[in-house]
Amino acid sequence: MLKKKMMIQQEQSDAYILLLPLLLLMVVFIVYPVLANFYYSLTTWKGFGTEIWVGLKNYRRVFHDDKFWYSLKNLGVLVLYIPIGIFIPLLIAAILREGLKGWMFFRSVIYLPTILGYVILGTLFSIILSQSGPLTEMLKMMGVEDANKINLLGQSRSAIHVVALLFVVFSKLGFGCIYFLAAMSSIDSSLYDAAAIDGAGWWQRFFSVTVPSISFSMQFFLVLSFIEVFARMYSFIYTLTYGGPGFATYTLEFGIYRQGFQAFKMGYASSWAVILFVFCSLIAALQINILKKGDQLK
Amino acid sequence: MRTIAKRWNPAKTVIYIFLIFITFISLYPIFFAFISSFKSTAEYTFSKTALPDQWIWSNYAYVFRNLKIARYMFNSALTVTVGMTLYIIVCNAAGFALGMLRFKYKLTIFSFILFFQIFPQMVIASQVYRICSKIGLMNSHLGLVLVWVAYFAPFGTYIMSTYYATIPRSLIESARIDGANVFQQLFKIMMPVAIPMVGTIAIVGSLAMWTELPFSLLLIQDPSLRPLSLGLAVLKGEHGIPIPTLSAAILVSAAIPLILYFFFQNKIHMGSTAGSVKG
Repeated sequence: MLKKKMMIQQEQSDAYILLLPLLLLMVVFIVYPVLANFYYSLTTWKGFGTEIWVGLKNYRRVFHDDKFWYSLKNLGVLVLYIPIGIFIPLLIAAILREGLKGWMFFRSVIYLPTILGYVILGTLFSIILSQSGPLTEMLKMMGVEDANKINLLGQSRSAIHVVALLFVVFSKLGFGCIYFLAAMSSIDSSLYDAAAIDGAGWWQRFFSVTVPSISFSMQFFLVLSFIEVFARMYSFIYTLTYGGPGFATYTLEFGIYRQGFQAFKMGYASSWAVILFVFCSLIAALQINILKKGDQLK
Repeated sequence: MRTIAKRWNPAKTVIYIFLIFITFISLYPIFFAFISSFKSTAEYTFSKTALPDQWIWSNYAYVFRNLKIARYMFNSALTVTVGMTLYIIVCNAAGFALGMLRFKYKLTIFSFILFFQIFPQMVIASQVYRICSKIGLMNSHLGLVLVWVAYFAPFGTYIMSTYYATIPRSLIESARIDGANVFQQLFKIMMPVAIPMVGTIAIVGSLAMWTELPFSLLLIQDPSLRPLSLGLAVLKGEHGIPIPTLSAAILVSAAIPLILYFFFQNKIHMGSTAGSVKG
């Protein structure tokens, strides 16, 4: 009995020792910054020197700031593209899983942009879609006279939609395919046989067997898409549009960078960061909830 | 089914057209950079889509000679190697504890880690910047590495923990009877068993660090200390360089990830689905 108790205690202290490096790093570089941010959002601080307490002034200013509302509107537009960003990879995965000729090749190629990373993707698309870029030239060769007036990223009306298609749909495609392919590989094939006997067509099987069978993975992917939009977009915006034209592709992340590190209004930027924190916390809570429900946390 | 498939099948044609279209958009950016990097600026201005008339190497020569790209590469290689080593140790230690060991407040700690891994770099950037300047980690590769590990390790830990949860407990129980302490258990028994997943997170983690931008942008202000992704991101604005030259720089910096992808495709695919795929 005593020995068993000692074993349990030993295991506990072992676990805490093992967790220590991670927790230490997280507390210093993530948790403390998140908390300190709340305090600095109540001050004017330039990013250097001492801060001056101003209470809620920054927050009052946020709600009168066009850039803030532009950012929210843009995030809203991006979120609207998420269903497309889920449906297309789901569809491709469902096609590839049937062992189409060359499916491994397609799978590898579709994932390639993910490997390049957002800095390279953003830089390249900013060139490709620019007024003097190859897209304009291609359209001209196809006989579109006004090709250089199209300027997809330069028009404030189209810019955010182009960004959404590139970021939410295109850049996540490879990951989505692989992710859903892996999820689909665990579906019991007798379900398909049964559906085939019932005379179900391809789409019927897709919606009545495939989709319900991988609902956990779809929920998880949905949450990941939200994370990408709210919390992982900075490098892409920085290299693709730099928030422009005007504020047409501003996001909260990019706004924090511009106000804090470019205009040296760090206190004000912190109030944006607190608001972004709230959004992210909701998403995080959702994610943890889904993992718990799916029995992935024990 | 077989016999039908041999005849012309409209549905299949549509599917192939759709897949070829997607293949085209996926490959075009890097293909465009590739052909542009071998053109002279004059030729690029004249023609953006055609193959180069004459394949010239001068853009690459310029990138290495004038843009310090070799220096950036060295900085990236150094920081990513050190970062990855630290990352593997931290993720495995914590993943081992969370995946296999039993202790109080496990679920709380696990939720805590998952919760804090979500925040974007920009939410914590200003305070990370302040801490690093206070403790002398500004313009320091060590500072960058520590911040990277703190930021990326929670996810790697989660992946490792799901792997360790599938390993039978009897393995450590017998090790304990042999008198192995916790570090021996980790390095001699657990990590060797988990090698496939260790390889996976090593690649996923190093790709994340190789392409990371925000922290490098804020913490590294000395141009000679820049890692590759930062060097590349500021290239356009800082030098106003011609697109063929920029393309050469892009290809140079994409080379290592692309080579990794070529050889370790399956590991990368595995890493992107590990821990979160379920029916």
